[in-house]
Amino acid sequence: MHSINYIGEHAWLGKLGNFFLILSFAAAFIAFVGFFLSAKNKDYLKFARTAFYLHAFAVIGIIGSMFFMLMNHYYEYQYVWQHSNNDMPMRYILSCFWEGQEGSFLLWTFWNVILGLILQRSLKNEWEAPVMSVFSLAQVFLSSMILGIFIGDIRIGSSPFLLLREHPDFLNAPFVKSFMENPNYISKLNPKGLNPLLMNYWMTIHPPTLFLGFASTLPPFAFAIAGLWMKKYKEWQQIALPWTYFGILILGIGILMGGAWAYEALSFGGFWAWDPVENSSLVPWLVLVGAGHVMIVNKNKGGSLFTTHLLAIGSFLLVLYSTFLTRSGILGDASVHAFTDLGMQGQLILYVLVFVLLCVSLLIDNSLLRVSYLMGSVLLMFLGMIYGYKTYLFYVWVIASIGLTAYSYQKYFPKENDEEELYSREFWMFLGAFVLLLSALVITYFTSIPVLNKLFHTKKAPLKVDDYNLWTVPFAIIILILMAVAQFLKYKKTNKKEFLKKIIISFLLSVAFGVACSVPLYFLNNFSTSDGLHKWNLISYFLLFTAGIFTILANSDYCVRILKGKVSKSGASIAHVGFALILVGALISNSKKVILSKNTSAKKVESLGEGFSGQENIFLEQGDTLPMGPYLVSYEGKEKRGIDFYFKVNYFLKNASGKPELAFQLQPKIQDNPRMGRAADPDTKHFLNRDIYTHVTAADLNTVVDTAKKNAYNTPENYIRHLGDTILASNAIVVIDSLVSDLSQAEYEKNDSLLQVTVVLKAYNVNGEVFKARPKYIIKKNMVIPESDKIEELGLKFSFWKINPQEGSVEISMAEKVNNSKDFIVMKAVMFPYINVLWIGSITMALGTFIAIRERKRTLKIHEENHGS
Amino acid sequence: MKKIHIVGIIVIAVAIGVILTSLKNTSTYADFNEALANPDREYHVVGKLQKSQPLIYDPKINADEFIFTLIDNKGVEKKVVLHKSKPQDFERSEQIVVIGKMHEGEFHANDILMKCPSKYNDGKQTM
Repeated sequence: MHSINYIGEHAWLGKLGNFFLILSFAAAFIAFVGFFLSAKNKDYLKFARTAFYLHAFAVIGIIGSMFFMLMNHYYEYQYVWQHSNNDMPMRYILSCFWEGQEGSFLLWTFWNVILGLILQRSLKNEWEAPVMSVFSLAQVFLSSMILGIFIGDIRIGSSPFLLLREHPDFLNAPFVKSFMENPNYISKLNPKGLNPLLMNYWMTIHPPTLFLGFASTLPPFAFAIAGLWMKKYKEWQQIALPWTYFGILILGIGILMGGAWAYEALSFGGFWAWDPVENSSLVPWLVLVGAGHVMIVNKNKGGSLFTTHLLAIGSFLLVLYSTFLTRSGILGDASVHAFTDLGMQGQLILYVLVFVLLCVSLLIDNSLLRVSYLMGSVLLMFLGMIYGYKTYLFYVWVIASIGLTAYSYQKYFPKENDEEELYSREFWMFLGAFVLLLSALVITYFTSIPVLNKLFHTKKAPLKVDDYNLWTVPFAIIILILMAVAQFLKYKKTNKKEFLKKIIISFLLSVAFGVACSVPLYFLNNFSTSDGLHKWNLISYFLLFTAGIFTILANSDYCVRILKGKVSKSGASIAHVGFALILVGALISNSKKVILSKNTSAKKVESLGEGFSGQENIFLEQGDTLPMGPYLVSYEGKEKRGIDFYFKVNYFLKNASGKPELAFQLQPKIQDNPRMGRAADPDTKHFLNRDIYTHVTAADLNTVVDTAKKNAYNTPENYIRHLGDTILASNAIVVIDSLVSDLSQAEYEKNDSLLQVTVVLKAYNVNGEVFKARPKYIIKKNMVIPESDKIEELGLKFSFWKINPQEGSVEISMAEKVNNSKDFIVMKAVMFPYINVLWIGSITMALGTFIAIRERKRTLKIHEENHGS
Repeated sequence: MKKIHIVGIIVIAVAIGVILTSLKNTSTYADFNEALANPDREYHVVGKLQKSQPLIYDPKINADEFIFTLIDNKGVEKKVVLHKSKPQDFERSEQIVVIGKMHEGEFHANDILMKCPSKYNDGKQTM
């Protein structure tokens, strides 16, 4: 191949970036080895730290290089070409940065570095070496995801610093091939830019929060592995506790933000759609919450050491697994999130497997058995690569790993022998963690249906939202009850009578309140007419609602009576109240939502069975007004701004005298997205006790005229009319009022060949306003030259063509402006009651968790000081 | 045996029960002939739009009814009645999944998923 000197390529940047990529990978590896060695020999510690700092420096270097090329529009780089362009406002530069997979991996790596540095600084003791070596190992893996080097034919990672003409995905694209001959190709590049759907503030705040959440599952994991490794199963838990709750806080906020984004800006029709991407952030969170609670049990009593390890490790592994699920393309059409396969499937599976391997082998406290397990695993992998049967060999490995875990737990793991009391806090907290884990596994199972289809060659369809709700509600009920009860129990042993006396008030009150609310909400109108499944649904709503109220009351009671209102101690109770509020808010807003846009003209299709309602959309013509729930709704028209079409929907309410008054206007939009087609974006009116959600499901975007054509007129039509007759326009009634001969006889004779008659037209619009038009009929040198006249306000144009003296009629043509033709939308409007309860709950939970973390850090400090002195 | 183990076993049993029951109830991917054989069961049918047949959507009459013809992966053509409004960009869809059941020779769908040619991949598509 002959080489061409391409003009304007900034090759140095790619070289610099790739240098940082390799440096970050290599330094992470050296740090891993260094920290690993320093676990036995402290002399290596300084060396290992330096390597980790170097890794941190390299990661900052990668990020800096990426920002540099994005800000300077170096479109010869595929990442810049794919994710940004010149038209894009600079405030979206962060969004461009993490829109792509490489950027989002880098964001994750970045947070790990930050957490790692803070952790390393705070751990000036025996834990530094083992914890940081796990941290460095994770960084080795993460850095390799964006390494982009080839070993033989196998590509390891995908580098963000690839030139477009070198990028493997574009090598054979015709437009890229044409570059090869053109040294000046950069000037001809047409960058794609950030997906317009992502140009909003959510895209700026949601990914960093979520990835910080993902990153914060690493410290508990690193501590748990270090604990297994050092055979100090209990000591790490108190240090890891604030970190775990930090993860719970941040990941929780990230998940809720995702829900808020979906509710506000995407057309999911709610805040939680059980989308695989949503699930795969929820599942690690549930497990992390379980881990945090078992840690508290262990701190106060000890006992379930194995469970903490299982949960802390599980949470991080589930983050890896969800990364695999959402980024490998295996979900296919099961998810709305458009992740494409970057060819990293193998790499991601490998990481999950390596970490599982690491955990199991650390648990096996017998070097012969451990070596056999490791060798066996490697052997199975090679067998799979050479002979195939990967699925079966994988099962063999999974079963062997589970078997060995159980065996090692029985044989080597220290166990608490005395039995937990039934009336003890630890018993119920432990059970709660266990239920959380199981609910997480059930959700993981449902989300993994596409994966299981591949493994078992089945054809199961992904679960529907209703089914997810059906199967997760029982878990939520149990968890809520445990959250209400557990705090009133003391560690070790509680007096049964005392406990019942304390809890009974909240219990009775919540049952009373639950019944009082649920009867009108769920039972009065609907229950007797529902079929079996619906009856069960309604009962489960009642139970969930009552359990939620129970949690709220019991925890508030605990705050006031037991903790005497001490805020610093009430973190847990406040967080519990918040969690219960989230569930209650979700339940009410979802189960009692009202479809306002009831389509009365639709055929009744309920007879087809579950899921067929067919009455959720309404047809609305411009200018028409239709009743919708308590409102009268009209469609005013649409407006095009850039690629967005805004539909103005007016909601009217009748005032005291029965006259409709404008209550509010909503502007749902449809984005004609050049990348992904048309995307609907709802608009919502928020009230204190309800939201009115409006979403355009279908509209004819083509009737919109862009500004250039806005003043164009349709083909005129001819009308023959007498004086006093009318012409019907789409927006007005036009009356032929009078004819005026404009020229005096003298003038007419003077100009000899000129005749001029004006017709006066009066147009009445819907409101009875009158507009006048005066088109003229002129004859000059035997030629008819009509002079047309317009009524701008109505978009009407008239020409006066002919006078028929015999019939006493005139011939007038009328043309209407193009956008006078009736525009329509098909829209859906839903009222979500009390959805604010959910958002208040979210804030309350975050606040409570924050207070709890502060308190834990404070007690940890006191603990350390006591130990130090 | 400890109490916690007993409770644990109960909870696990419930979870397994949940998974097994849900397995029985969830719909599966199928072609039109299978759906025709079990008219009361819900299926996911994957296919392509038959472009030579008309798309019928008249929101003025019924905003929640959209009729088109789908060819499933085995080449069987059936009329599909979607009881929803016509999805955005329907004509551009490459692959369609309809969720519903057979009723009097027509497939009645209560939901639809579409895969549109994503311009994300236009580099790859040429490979």
